[in-house]
Amino acid sequence: MESEPKTLVIIPAFNEEGSVGKVVEEVKNHLPQAEVLVVNDGSTDLTSEIANAKGAVVLNLPFNLGIGGAMQSGYKYAYEKGYDIAIQVDGDGQHDPGEIPKLLRVLEEEKADVAIGSRFIGDSQYKASVMRRLGSLILSKAISMIVGEKLTDPTSGFRAANRRAIQLFSANYPQDYPEPEAMVLLHQCGLVMKEVPVKINQRYSGESSITKIRSVYYMVKVLLAIFVDCFKKRPVLKIGG
Amino acid sequence: MLIKFQVIIGLLSFILLVGTFELIRKGRLREEYSILWLFTGGVTLLFSFWPQFFLSQFITRITGLFYLSAVVVIAFLFLLLIVLHFSVVVSKLTDRNKELAQRHALLELEFKELKRRTLPPDTVSP
Repeated sequence: MESEPKTLVIIPAFNEEGSVGKVVEEVKNHLPQAEVLVVNDGSTDLTSEIANAKGAVVLNLPFNLGIGGAMQSGYKYAYEKGYDIAIQVDGDGQHDPGEIPKLLRVLEEEKADVAIGSRFIGDSQYKASVMRRLGSLILSKAISMIVGEKLTDPTSGFRAANRRAIQLFSANYPQDYPEPEAMVLLHQCGLVMKEVPVKINQRYSGESSITKIRSVYYMVKVLLAIFVDCFKKRPVLKIGG
Repeated sequence: MLIKFQVIIGLLSFILLVGTFELIRKGRLREEYSILWLFTGGVTLLFSFWPQFFLSQFITRITGLFYLSAVVVIAFLFLLLIVLHFSVVVSKLTDRNKELAQRHALLELEFKELKRRTLPPDTVSP
């Protein structure tokens, strides 16, 4: 690339006042050239104010849309403002912004449209319950089969997308289980994704949205959703833009 | 016996039809959603006028249904259709609602930015 690509870091946050400030700070430390957008998904706490005070651009959704709707808003912003690269980082602080350059390198050097940070490749010290690991394993096998390449962490929300993927996501982003479903969508549209091993912080605050008991139920629902996705009409991807 | 059922079902269908018409007239039900309701009312009303058709040997033989159960089954099928139709409508509305919320948020951000840039700082409310 001739000039520095315009980069946006999208941080979806729903009631994350305890962690969002720190995440914004860290992202700004590691990527001073990037713009930081916090998508406040109808929080009832001080998420919006804190993010704003830390110097992030804050997109306030009028009510809670869920992670899919929030992420898509971020991608719409990225698309309309002409960003070349969008990086999504969770607002709860589980992703280490220091790992972002790894994602960017994959986008640039391996000609991938989307780079996905995986907790399961390499020597990540990620600890999860047996049930969650099993659920994750079955899910990743199923998605690998559909997509036709090996993917290890379909629920990872630590991703970087290039302009082509930004355009796709701004128009079509899965709403129910966005992370795994987005992989299927990318595959259907012929975009290339690559996984990158990343380290994961234990959560700064708050509980995982997927508890131990619900992880099996979650897996079944995601499998169903992906199965349905396979039969959906493929969205038309405009060239350029 | 049959005439009693005919009257009851005829009355019910009539009430359904009049009720639907009233709702449309008062603008509380949009026409596009009312077609199935009108159709249900109309068909059951016809049943009460011409039960002979549904009692004919032919219909009874192929469906194994008698008049009352036939009406119940058909009304139930229509209800299923209506519920399915509503699910489709709700899905569409949910989707549009999401698009609107996102557009609203993006515009609000744009507006704030514009205000910040064009107005002198001390006039901008926090």
